[in-house]
Amino acid sequence: MIERTIPQTQEMFDNYGKLNGDNDILHYDDAYAKERGFRGTLGHGLMYTGYVADLAARKYGTDWHYRGELTVKFVRPVCPGDNLVVSLDEDGTAKCESQFDTTLVGSAKLRTDD
Amino acid sequence: MTRPSEVKPREGEQPAALYKDWVIGSEFPELRFTITPDIVEEYMSVVSAEASNYVIDGRQAAPPNVVAVYLMAVMYRKYPPQQGGIMIGNTFKFFHPIWADETTEVVGTGRLTDKYEKKGRKYICYQVDFHRADGQQLTSILHTSAFPD
Repeated sequence: MIERTIPQTQEMFDNYGKLNGDNDILHYDDAYAKERGFRGTLGHGLMYTGYVADLAARKYGTDWHYRGELTVKFVRPVCPGDNLVVSLDEDGTAKCESQFDTTLVGSAKLRTDD
Repeated sequence: MTRPSEVKPREGEQPAALYKDWVIGSEFPELRFTITPDIVEEYMSVVSAEASNYVIDGRQAAPPNVVAVYLMAVMYRKYPPQQGGIMIGNTFKFFHPIWADETTEVVGTGRLTDKYEKKGRKYICYQVDFHRADGQQLTSILHTSAFPD
C-alpha cells in the first residue's frame, strides 16, 4: 500500500477554488456550511480526486496516462483542520480517511478492454 | 492560456438552473480552451501532486486529471450553477498524456445522462469528453452531483 498524509486548510480550499473558478459558498463560508449541517467549509471533491490520482500515477507510471481508470465516491465531508490520509492498496482500492471518518472510497486501475 | 475561471459561470452570478430545467440527453455546447505549462504547474500545486510521478520517457507530463478544473465549466455553460451543490462521485478514464512543457488545445463536449431524486436530494449525472483539437482523445469523465433545488 502507498499512502500520504495531507493536512487540510482553508487556504488549500481557496487555492483550488481560485484555479477552478468555483464560487460555491460551501467551500468558503463557514457560517453557511454550519447552517447546512456540516462541521465547517467543505474541501473540493475534485481536489481529493487529484490526491488519489497522484498515488495512482506513482503506482502505474506511464500506463496510467493511456489506460488509467479512476472511480471515486465522496462519502463524508472534509473540513479545515482534518488530517487526511490518502491511500492506494495493491489491488487498486483507494481511500481517504480523516481523524473523523472515511471521506472517499474508490478504485484506481488500468483498463484491459481497450 | 485559459484559466477555468475565465470560462466557468460562477455560482450566484446568474439565475441558476434548477432540477426541473435539466433535460436528460441534452448536449452541452462545445468548450475550447488551452492548457499551458502555467496551468499545469498551478494544478499540481493545488492537488499536492509530485512532478516525479508524471515523467514519461524522460519528458514531464501533466497529471492527466488536470482537465478536472474545466469539467464543471462544460456543463455550467448550459445549466448555470446553484449555490450549495455537493459532489457525489466521478469516474475518469485516461487515454493519452497531456504534456507539461507545451500548450495543448482542448475541446470539451458532453451531455446530461441522468437525473433523479432520492431521500430528498436532487441528483444529476453527466459525461464530459475531452479531446485535443487534433482529435486525440484525452479523458472521459462521468460525474454525479447533488443540488438543493
